[in-house]
Amino acid sequence: MTRIDYTDLVGGLGLVLTGAAVSYVSISQYPLGTLQRMGPGMFPAILGVLLAGLGVLLSLQALRRPGSRPDIRIFSPLFVLGGIAAFALVIVPFGLVPAILAITVISSLAELRVQPVSLALLTLALCLMAPLVFVVGLGLPISLVRWPF
Amino acid sequence: MEFLANIGLGFSVALSLTNIFYCFLGAFLGTLVGVIPGLGVLAAISMLFPLTFHLEPTTALIMLAGIWYGTTYGGSTASILLNLPGTPANAVTCLDGYPMARQGRGGVALFMTTVASFFGASFGIVLLTLFTPVIADYALRFGSAEYFALMLMGLVAASTISEGSAVKGLSMVVLGIIIGLVGMDSQSATVRFSFGVMGLLEGVSLIALAMGVFGVAEIIMSVRRVRTADIDPETLRLKAIKPSRDEMRRSWFPMLRGASIGSFFGTLPGTGPSIAAFLSYAIEKRVSRTPERFGNGAIEGIMGPESANNAADQTAFIPTLSLGVPGSATMALMLGVLMIHGVAPGPNLISSQPELFWGLIMSFWVGNLILLLLNIPLIGVWVRMLTIPYHILYPAVLMFICIGAYTSGFTVLNVWMVLVFGALGYAMRIFGFPGAPLLLGFVLGPLMEEHFRRAMVLSRGEFLTFFERPISAVIMALTGMILIWSVWSAEIIRRRRAARAAGDGATTHEAREG
Repeated sequence: MTRIDYTDLVGGLGLVLTGAAVSYVSISQYPLGTLQRMGPGMFPAILGVLLAGLGVLLSLQALRRPGSRPDIRIFSPLFVLGGIAAFALVIVPFGLVPAILAITVISSLAELRVQPVSLALLTLALCLMAPLVFVVGLGLPISLVRWPF
Repeated sequence: MEFLANIGLGFSVALSLTNIFYCFLGAFLGTLVGVIPGLGVLAAISMLFPLTFHLEPTTALIMLAGIWYGTTYGGSTASILLNLPGTPANAVTCLDGYPMARQGRGGVALFMTTVASFFGASFGIVLLTLFTPVIADYALRFGSAEYFALMLMGLVAASTISEGSAVKGLSMVVLGIIIGLVGMDSQSATVRFSFGVMGLLEGVSLIALAMGVFGVAEIIMSVRRVRTADIDPETLRLKAIKPSRDEMRRSWFPMLRGASIGSFFGTLPGTGPSIAAFLSYAIEKRVSRTPERFGNGAIEGIMGPESANNAADQTAFIPTLSLGVPGSATMALMLGVLMIHGVAPGPNLISSQPELFWGLIMSFWVGNLILLLLNIPLIGVWVRMLTIPYHILYPAVLMFICIGAYTSGFTVLNVWMVLVFGALGYAMRIFGFPGAPLLLGFVLGPLMEEHFRRAMVLSRGEFLTFFERPISAVIMALTGMILIWSVWSAEIIRRRRAARAAGDGATTHEAREG
């Protein structure tokens, strides 16, 4: 337990920053117009102020109450998101099968305890199943394997 | 007679071979997703949504709706056997379902919840059929001011009533609306918040947002946390699922009460199946002559809630289809699906797309019947799904998410968006911000802006127009009441908590601060 709720304080300040940025961009870059003929900047400008206001409210509440330490993990998001990034990087130049290989292996690392046999079987199964469903079954135009060089 | 003709039209659409097949597929996949804890209905619908791109909008909706009510059927399985709710709407089923399973009556519980689910759903479908056209007819008179007020009420209700802090819910609604504004503004053709990325001209992809915030974030949270269970298959033989005469007798009224509660709360924005199930449980416990049996395997404690959540699943379609104003994130996703297929939602939907509307509703009968048939003999199969280890499951789900994102438009940008929203979703979980209001705001945002601007043009920039038009004024007043009520109830909870903490002794922080 902490004396004030740091989680909500940081969350609230994040909202304030986001709201301020949205309002700033809408006011400086898009025409505001008048209330009768609203320009593209008006609605987001109002929303940005609203968001920042809610952020202030949340931060003030956080100062008045004790909080608990959030359970933040590093490796789970790192490997899961890393797998998605690998998929995005591989799918166009190299094709579907290498992309599946990349995402399965990298995201499996999030378990932090690799079981090589089951991972190999899973990868093999997915590499067979996905092309069958998406390319053969649904007829989507994705190349299975490619060599760009 | 027109009514009968409409129902006939609906059945002729729903009973076409293609639609029955996709209805079956949706119900089947929904049950699967519902059974497996750690895979939500929103993630499932958005994951499977790309598969429906090449389908007719009616068929696509039939399948996606099947997933939606299928999960509630399936969700009770995990609740009863593992004490782990498959979906939030089934959480309360754990209270008496799990004790029943521990007493070796798991088969009975699974069988009876399926019956209750079917009963509740049927009740909901009847109401949906009767009331949607009436409400839509009434709503034809609505102007932009009314629509803006309605959407505002939906968003405020959805973000403040459901769970947690009202401020957090509201801020996620606002953030969702802002994300919804990214891309080309339909009225002035100005490109907003695209940061020079050409692909963002058409806006942020609904699919990528839903898959990131719900699917990917859920996976990050569940890795190394979800445990696989062992279940005694003996209690689930077909012989062991037959309820006793006494259990049958005690199930009728809870089912009926549950269906009424569920139907009512399903139509309201922000409440939906979870709250309906909780209320139904509370009421069953109160009216029971033997409340001490609750929590120890009372059959009333599973029949009421399971009937309520399924009824709510169906009646949630009433505001979505009659007004075009969804009350929950899932309904917002359905609405988004409609719009992606080029169908304009609103009160005109029923008259302009009668095949879609009546076909969809009548397909609910088909789907629920399929679920009844699917669930009772196949209970053993669903239970076996529960024993798939999570470390096998989640890479496969991630792969489906990525392929789905990529193939919805064949652009890698969508995959990157999944990554960004996955990170955002994880950050939201850490800071305790709810995801459903974000999605609702995202879908309703552009519509709200349009109605707001139009109302302002019509009123010559007079903001009071929202309070001068009678219908809009009533809705605005309701919205204000919801806001005040949520602030007030939050304050009560805070005081109560503070009082309890102070009562606990000198170790608390209030005491130290004082």
